Amino acid sequence: MAHDSPLSLKYFYIYNSSYGQKEGEEAQKILYYYPTKTDLDSQIKNVGLTEAIIKFTETFNCNQQCESLHTQKTRQLYYQPEDGFWMVLVLTVPTATKTKEGIDHLEYQSDEVQDNIYWAVLKQAYRSFQLFNGSFSNILDSEKDPTKLRYKLDHFFAKYLIKLKPQHADILDVFHGIQFLPLDKKTFLHVQTLVNLLECSFPKVRHTAFLYNDQLVWSGLEPDDMQAMYRYLITSLLPAQMETELQGGPMPRQSAAFSALHFGSRFVSGPSNLQGDDVGKIPKVYLKNDDGPVICHLVIYRALNATVCLFIDEAVSLEMDFFQRLDIFLGHRLTSLGSEIAEQFNHSVASAASAESGAKFVYFNQLNRAQKSTIHLDNRKSGNISVPVDVLRILADVNADFMERKPTTGETIVKTMNDFWVVGKLSNLREFYVVIHHKNANLIEINEEVKKLCDSQFKSIFFNE
Amino acid sequence: MATTKTDEDVDFKGENDEGKHPEGNLLNFEPEVPVESMLVPTDNFDSFEQEAPPDPSNLKVDSNLAECQNNDNNTVDDDKLDPDTSGASRSISELSLASEESTDHHGEEEVTNNEEWRSQEKHVFILSSAGKPIYSRHGSEDKLVTLFGVMQALVSFIGDDGDVIRSIHTQGTLFVFLIKGPIMLACVCKTRESVAQITVQLNYVYSQIVSVLTLQQLTRIYEQRRNYDLRRLLAGAERLIDHMLIALETQPALLLGAVQCLPLVPTTRDAITNIIVSSCNKIKNLVFAILVGGNQLVTLIRMKKFFLHPADLHLILNLVNSSESFKAAESWTPICLPKFDPKGFLHAHVSYLAEDCEACLLLLTVDADLFFPLSEAKQKIVEKLRRASLLQSINSALAHPGTPVSQLGVPEARHFLYKCKATAQFWGPVPAPPYQTAEGAKRLLDQYRILHHRLHAPMQPLKLLYLQDHAETMLGWVTTGFELYVAFEPLVTKTNAINAVNKILRWIKKDENGLFITNAPTF
Repeated sequence: MAHDSPLSLKYFYIYNSSYGQKEGEEAQKILYYYPTKTDLDSQIKNVGLTEAIIKFTETFNCNQQCESLHTQKTRQLYYQPEDGFWMVLVLTVPTATKTKEGIDHLEYQSDEVQDNIYWAVLKQAYRSFQLFNGSFSNILDSEKDPTKLRYKLDHFFAKYLIKLKPQHADILDVFHGIQFLPLDKKTFLHVQTLVNLLECSFPKVRHTAFLYNDQLVWSGLEPDDMQAMYRYLITSLLPAQMETELQGGPMPRQSAAFSALHFGSRFVSGPSNLQGDDVGKIPKVYLKNDDGPVICHLVIYRALNATVCLFIDEAVSLEMDFFQRLDIFLGHRLTSLGSEIAEQFNHSVASAASAESGAKFVYFNQLNRAQKSTIHLDNRKSGNISVPVDVLRILADVNADFMERKPTTGETIVKTMNDFWVVGKLSNLREFYVVIHHKNANLIEINEEVKKLCDSQFKSIFFNE
Repeated sequence: MATTKTDEDVDFKGENDEGKHPEGNLLNFEPEVPVESMLVPTDNFDSFEQEAPPDPSNLKVDSNLAECQNNDNNTVDDDKLDPDTSGASRSISELSLASEESTDHHGEEEVTNNEEWRSQEKHVFILSSAGKPIYSRHGSEDKLVTLFGVMQALVSFIGDDGDVIRSIHTQGTLFVFLIKGPIMLACVCKTRESVAQITVQLNYVYSQIVSVLTLQQLTRIYEQRRNYDLRRLLAGAERLIDHMLIALETQPALLLGAVQCLPLVPTTRDAITNIIVSSCNKIKNLVFAILVGGNQLVTLIRMKKFFLHPADLHLILNLVNSSESFKAAESWTPICLPKFDPKGFLHAHVSYLAEDCEACLLLLTVDADLFFPLSEAKQKIVEKLRRASLLQSINSALAHPGTPVSQLGVPEARHFLYKCKATAQFWGPVPAPPYQTAEGAKRLLDQYRILHHRLHAPMQPLKLLYLQDHAETMLGWVTTGFELYVAFEPLVTKTNAINAVNKILRWIKKDENGLFITNAPTF
């Protein structure tokens, strides 16, 4: 649908009501406000409205989080990640011009903005911040005043929000799943052997993750941390390296010959020159743990589309000597493993392409965060999708319905006005959505087609009938 | 209402019954559609947008009321249309008596801290744009003045930005706001209904107020005094609002925007209709004659060219159902039907047919002086009905316990609702286990609500929805002619579900003439 004005980010702010409780000091509540150029009066007014809305809802329910406010022109999502800290995402509702009785008038397309998607986007924004900075309250604790927190928020979100692209968010943002690379037993064991050998030879390494292109092969992190880490890797860090590899989209990948452009292994985070003295800038990450966060250095090494992420205790100081030894250990091994995977990978891509049918699908497993999808034509979140956008919205609707009713198993089938069928299946913690365009099919035929797709794509996974 | 041919009809050429399924090639189960329907077909979604109050200067233009009157009786003074001068309406002069009263704030915390009050499933509040309380479903408005103040502040704060507040969502509670000219309505519910559905319900509540006051009076009151306490004029109407809210929660009719007809042999219904027509056709200015029993429609006769909107008929049914006094004596009451004409009153002669017949007859006219002729006509109608033993027929239809789904030979289905779109009528069997209890019936209606909401989503309506979870499998199907909602046991196979749907449609088709009123009689 053509829009006069598309969905866009209007405001994004973080506040804590316990600051600036005196009249005239309301500005102190505000910890971050986007756009930063917004005048202070508007900032105070909007934060005040959010506070009032939340307080009003508390009249009727104790302990239920207030999640969103819908107005004709905006959608506001609320998230309280830590006690007293609220994050607010304000979106402008897209508009379209409709002609009614010969007169053009502006219509706000409120139903195109789906709460579950943008609430997930907001939550993910917090998780990303937390991964690199720790929790809000931890940043406060050390200094008791929010100056440092304000600085960190500003530093992080200024860059983060530019890449947000809220107009292209869809059901995949709800899942934030991880794409796993299926390998045959032998190759998978080779990967695991390398990881084990690495962790034995370098006991400072606490966890390891292994990726090939944008797909995960092995991870020693908790799924929740890996999910946030994975998203950072594939949306921020690796795209620069992978740009050329990804141009063909997620299914038909580039051949090994093409990837040889990046021949030669190197540190993505760490020293750029192993002969120099500068070990480079090494980011720290805050991993979840029962007794507070564990802080680790994140060292990333890459060869032939294979990426190894090493999580090393913060207490360890990283010297050039360490990187040199690491390079000697990994360089050759990773290059040969990378080409071994590439060979198999190209093989499986060829066979997958031949099995391609007209049906598009999304699969997500909450347990290991595994995700598989054919609804996008590329991985760049550019709105390049293989099903109509209104049909894509139905997937998120069906998901919202599952999450609200919380059945352990369930099935939803819908037929749209333009003869698209959408099938959603929930089986324990696995969700599976299929889109089929078929005008004259009936329920039974659609059911058969979904069964066939399950058999070809997910042979060993059980779905309730 | 003539049906329009759409491309969908092309699908309906299937000849072989078995093995033809929902949304595949289909046999023709489309209902028989009368050339004209007495009820305006509706999807019930016309009332989402907030309406601005009408410009009073053109209140008399394009008025259904004025038109009915001019049609048949040019001698009636136009002034009579103005509710402020018509005898039956409440006098505007009452307004001048209004004075500011002081309110007691002390009780408020008692109410809002009360766990029972907080945990009510559905609150409804009505207030003026100045924040004056008009109605609260639970708890006295007088004790909730601060809360009303907060709601008014939120609405006007967002309004100041040129924006309109719609809803607030928390994990278990939904807050919906509806602004209607000088008054606003808010609903706080924990029922998992959608914003669109709650908005429809608030619109019904608003219509109930308009029905008592007329839009013209409502607008004028607040033009003259922004701070007016509307409760003065609505005394007694709380009961109607309370009753309307219960009906909205328990009756599928309001969800579907349709009415259920009392099942009668077509010749019996025609005989009743003919008696009413023949007894009334000499009376000018009679717009509608409506016979209802057991919350179902027996017959409806209308003045040529005029139609009744189902929403208006629901207001009428609500009036009948919530007023015991009609049983005691014949009554003469003003009623405004907002979809028909929000600007003025119709006058209704309301009476039950006889001590031994629980059907209620409503004769609606634009002429305020018609009580005695209508009373006389009613006597004649009852005499004729009795002579033709039609009172007995109505009584036995009313006494019939209803058809359970088990008698229809569709063992796969637990319950269903069938709506004929063109006539805005629906039929469903009496609830059988597991839906015979109040709790079961509520869950069933909730399931229908979910189907209805998704199928009629304003931006993206659907043709078919099949929902399977642990309690039941639900199927909703909308075609050009009908809507069908079916509840199955949770583990039904798709083949059995489809066979059941075909059986239901075949059964409906066979009994169509008794279950629905397929003609649209006029005076």
